Amino acid sequence: MSENSSRREFIGRVVGLTALGGAAATLIARRASAHAVFQVDPGKCTACDLCRTACVLPMSAVRAVNEFSKCGYCRLCPAYMDVTSAPDQLGIPSGKVCPQDALKRRVVGREDPDDPNNNYYEYTVDETRCNGCGKCVKACKPPAGNGSLRLEIRYDRCLTCNECSILVACPEAAIVRVAAPGLSPVAAAGEHGG
Amino acid sequence: MGSPSSCGGARTRSFWPLLLLLVAFASSALLAQYQKAPPDFGGSYSFPTPTHPEPRSGVALGIDLVLLAAGLGLGAYLVLGRRSRAGALALGVAAIAYFGFYRKGCTCPIGAIQNVTLSLVDPRYLISYTVLAFFFLPLVAAFLFGRVFCGGVCPLGAVQDLVVLKPKRVPETLDRWLRWLPFVYLAVAVFFAGWGIPTVSATGKALSGRRFVICEWDPFIGFFRVAGPFHMLAIGAAFLGVGAFYARPYCRWFCPYGALLSLASRFSWKYVRVTPDKELDCGLCAQSCPVGAIRANRADRADCLACARCYETCPRDVKLRGGDGPVELELHRRTAEAADDVHPAEPGS
Repeated sequence: MSENSSRREFIGRVVGLTALGGAAATLIARRASAHAVFQVDPGKCTACDLCRTACVLPMSAVRAVNEFSKCGYCRLCPAYMDVTSAPDQLGIPSGKVCPQDALKRRVVGREDPDDPNNNYYEYTVDETRCNGCGKCVKACKPPAGNGSLRLEIRYDRCLTCNECSILVACPEAAIVRVAAPGLSPVAAAGEHGG
Repeated sequence: MGSPSSCGGARTRSFWPLLLLLVAFASSALLAQYQKAPPDFGGSYSFPTPTHPEPRSGVALGIDLVLLAAGLGLGAYLVLGRRSRAGALALGVAAIAYFGFYRKGCTCPIGAIQNVTLSLVDPRYLISYTVLAFFFLPLVAAFLFGRVFCGGVCPLGAVQDLVVLKPKRVPETLDRWLRWLPFVYLAVAVFFAGWGIPTVSATGKALSGRRFVICEWDPFIGFFRVAGPFHMLAIGAAFLGVGAFYARPYCRWFCPYGALLSLASRFSWKYVRVTPDKELDCGLCAQSCPVGAIRANRADRADCLACARCYETCPRDVKLRGGDGPVELELHRRTAEAADDVHPAEPGS
């Protein structure tokens, strides 16, 4: 190895490393956070069922979540019961909305043992069963419900891919990137890759 | 989502109240009309709080980075210092286990090209320190020690390295042309990550058309996740099948990050060397190199994937480890020459 070429190499190395350092510094100064994660914006979400299928995981990282304090405690929960199905003797729809039977309910307050329709229920999503299809979310949307059910990317399941494939698939651009820690929403750079 | 300025000031600890506020804002007209207030339950009942699992903690992310840096350092030590093929192999298996199956292939430096591109093009795009470090650390290592990332830290490379059964030589002219493909792929990936072709969604929304092509066509991530779309798994299987005979096809002829690493490693400080003063010029190393990175008995550090196979077969190293003596070495040399006569080297090599 001649002295000339080794000097050229040294210069190349220094220039290259400086360029890398410069790029890294620019990016850090410009917009870097400890961690960026993806989340569903319930305001844009139409519960189109793509969350269930588009995630790279065999069982999507998206689950339905019930915000209990927002629940309207409807007499006939449209997210729990399939209101289009045939009614039973008490006039309560016999079918359920959730294909996975993941939406569970329990009576809160006074219980009327004779008429299940005369009770208030607390609706909980069974995370092990829920597949994020969003049928309940769709049924709970106003005006039928309060919209207390919504889809959420569960971070104990999410792989935090370089790019969220649900984000790519989402027709409503409802998947946003948020900065963790703090989880404040950050502006999405365009719909894709943002 | 509201405009960033409207929520930028209120950087609360929790994201949910803020989002819900935004939703309430957006649909306040509807809600005013229809919202049903919680009823009186007639007993003591308080609303449970829904759980929101936290994202991977900073400590866990730190461990990823430490392991990446340690892997690069260890790779350099094992391959360049110890000249140990077994070491490189063990490191590769560890990388498959941790970065592959445990971390399920994300975040990876190959995909990070796109995050870095997007954040350079669009200042609004937020990039995480992890992605930055995953992108830059292996490049820095390449400037110092060559492509040690490829040698034992990249789970995609390690998977292909495990299936190298009977490596065959690719004609050198063809190989030389194919080695331009990673640069083409890099250009395509950078274009789609930073700009893309604007499209309109099914619901009529304008989409920027930015795509992370590398992630969408990653051949091996489906194996690590034991799930994936058919095209990904099929391409992965094809790469592994081809890889049994033409070693590490993705690394050599497709990997866009490999293109960057090959540029950086041209200036590397230490690298896998086959030097006349130390080695014997017997040509065994060139035969042992499955990726064709040893040309005219010298290792080309831009193409060398730091797998240490050349060191493993080097008679001098074998001798040092207590193997064949000098007479056998001479025999090896003659065999090598005979092999060269049968397959004459390509012109211009």
